[in-house]
Amino acid sequence: MKKAIVYLNQFFGQIGGEEKAGFEPEIREGQVGPAMQMAKTLHAEVTHTIICGDNCMGSNPEETCAKILAMLDGLEFDIFLAGPAFQAGRYTVACGLICKAVKEKFGVPVVTSMNVETPGVNMFRKDMYILKGANSAAKMRKDLSNMVTLANKLLDGVAIGPAEEEGCFPRGIRHQVWRKDGKPASERMIDMLLKKVNGLPFVTEMPIPKIDRVPIAPAIKDLKKAKIALLNTGGIVPVDNPDRIQSASATRWGRYSIEGADGLEGGVFKTVHAGFDPAAADADPDVITPIDALRALEKEGFYGALHNWFYTTVGTGTTESEAARMAREIVPYLKEDCVDAVIMVST
Amino acid sequence: MKLEIGNFHVRDIVFGDALSFRDGILTIQKEEALNFIRQDDRITEAELYIVKPGEEVRLCPVKEAIEPRVRPDGRGIFPGYTSKLLPAGEGKVHALKNCSVLVVGRHMGGFQDGLIDMAGPGQKMTIFGNLLNIVLVADTNEAFERFEQQKMNDALRRAGHKLAEFIAGCVKELEPEEVEVYEMGSVRGRDPETEKLPSVVYVMQPQSQMEALGYNDLLYGWDLNRFLPTYMNPNEILDGAVVSGSFMPCSSKWSTYDFQNTPNIKALYREHGKTLNFLGVIMSNLNVALEQKERAAQFVAQLAVSLGADAAVVAEEGYGNPDADFVACLVALEDAGVKTIGVTNESTGRDGRGQPLVTLDEKCDAIVSCGNVGELIELPPMKVVLGELEALGRDGNSGGWEHDEILGPSVRPDGSVIMENNGIFCGDQVAGWSPKQMMAF
Repeated sequence: MKKAIVYLNQFFGQIGGEEKAGFEPEIREGQVGPAMQMAKTLHAEVTHTIICGDNCMGSNPEETCAKILAMLDGLEFDIFLAGPAFQAGRYTVACGLICKAVKEKFGVPVVTSMNVETPGVNMFRKDMYILKGANSAAKMRKDLSNMVTLANKLLDGVAIGPAEEEGCFPRGIRHQVWRKDGKPASERMIDMLLKKVNGLPFVTEMPIPKIDRVPIAPAIKDLKKAKIALLNTGGIVPVDNPDRIQSASATRWGRYSIEGADGLEGGVFKTVHAGFDPAAADADPDVITPIDALRALEKEGFYGALHNWFYTTVGTGTTESEAARMAREIVPYLKEDCVDAVIMVST
Repeated sequence: MKLEIGNFHVRDIVFGDALSFRDGILTIQKEEALNFIRQDDRITEAELYIVKPGEEVRLCPVKEAIEPRVRPDGRGIFPGYTSKLLPAGEGKVHALKNCSVLVVGRHMGGFQDGLIDMAGPGQKMTIFGNLLNIVLVADTNEAFERFEQQKMNDALRRAGHKLAEFIAGCVKELEPEEVEVYEMGSVRGRDPETEKLPSVVYVMQPQSQMEALGYNDLLYGWDLNRFLPTYMNPNEILDGAVVSGSFMPCSSKWSTYDFQNTPNIKALYREHGKTLNFLGVIMSNLNVALEQKERAAQFVAQLAVSLGADAAVVAEEGYGNPDADFVACLVALEDAGVKTIGVTNESTGRDGRGQPLVTLDEKCDAIVSCGNVGELIELPPMKVVLGELEALGRDGNSGGWEHDEILGPSVRPDGSVIMENNGIFCGDQVAGWSPKQMMAF
């Protein structure tokens, strides 16, 4: 049988109330409090219960998590469950913190439950399954049952459905689903249209997310000393495309030496970008990666030096999340090479 | 304007001695049809197949789909394109239903081409998996674009449009089993009860991103890149005024079949006079330069207001760069006081964590969302492949790739594939068929 470990705070762990909120974490064999109820229907044996005071976790989260992770070292478990935390603010944050730490270290699925009004929801919903919990422990039975239902799907390898069906907070992930009723877009369009035009409530199928804004970096103090790198999403690569960067929906990037080069030549470099007419860029790649112009400015002493490598990916159809991941991979190279600024050419 | 579409329901398609339609059976004289196609001397190789739902057949690279139609009065079905330029949307047209003509490249594919499975888990991913299909597999001498990712596919696509009309010739003189009537007159002086209902325009943004001519959707043969928004009678769309192009990643594509049958237009017609007053179509486009996008949005909003629209629906054929046109158009309409909803697909990526559209605005508060172009799809091998499956990974198909350290190649040695939804032929069905919806996980 698979194995589970449950995390509870001092109150549900039957240590005490607010006066015991500083309780240092302990691990106990077997099931305490709500863990006993979970064990009845969970498709795993609850082997241990961890109990920790909310203030202990709240005032010293890193050290407390490290202590708990050390307790788990060497134990076999297939899933980690925390809570339910209801509307107890500190408890929700504690559940989120320990679930995130356990998931990162041990790679097992984690499940918790919190009320929508608590801080834990927005802090952790992108990191784990958080079930929509009640606002008081009077609903313990229901919240526990919801946690066990989802945990059993994870244990049994059953596909997890949309957040609304599972009763979870959305994790910032959107996928296409074949509607069970097969209702075509044209009928959904009419429904939404009539509701909106008649002033009735309607539900959009694409809620507008909060847009991530990147702050503008501070200006370079002395351009004459700056080392500048050239990056592009226009797909300029050596003609054999050695990194096999995709023509659209790119997940790959490459960097190519331009040491000593006064420009890129057609026939040696080309574009693999499929989102525009490639003729001009194939004939003269410098229209996208203006190495010729940058060299001229470098010789004039307008800025310090052009970095010896330029970086390439393809922008068409490439998602913002893949682009961010590629940036995280590229940035360490640029830092290691002491690049002061980059020019990003988009197409 | 009154359009009568006379329907002939096809139950089966067979090859036989003479082109005919009898008791639901469409018979095609194969050699005659192939000889017709070979009249275009650009066609170097051509073969015809019949594929049916449930057969283990994979089609790739698919370039176009057309509903076979013919006009009893002798006018052509694609005016300004395969026939003389005349107004569409008026009079009688005969249609072979439950079937399509599909055009598949014998060898070379490209960015804009797609894949169709007639059985297995891929069958439901496009409407063409559930239609009886007459499949033209052909190659051409268009050497200039043979190894280009962007192909006009002009000879192949035209062959498909002409073949669709040629095949429907067998019902030209027959009495249709049923007639769909679409009638829309002036926006002025309508029935007083209808006038009381909220008035709605349908705004279409067909694909027009290529600056070079020959790749974009055509309106009466006119390239939509060289176009500013105009008002149209919806019958024109249902009657062959628009022909699909050869540019967009394929799941976002509206094939000619989609234009001929646009479910969103038919749904608005069904509600006309009952719950809403359907004013007609504002035809727009999806050009790349920012000023072109803004100019088009400005035109659309002005037309909607001048027509007296209370509400509008905007639908885009594409994603990525065209999202800017889509959002700009929705915002321009909302700013003009027109209550607007959108129909689109999204690009949230393989992990589903990406931003849905490249640009967003809080005014886009009512969106019907039909699919994720980046969804990762695995399909088992099919017994038969028509075309050349390697094209999926080799030729820059927007849903495929040659190599990936983790996922391996798109096309595996055993004939199974791993790809993005991007490469499913007309998979996102924004024209209105889509039974898919984007959901939060």
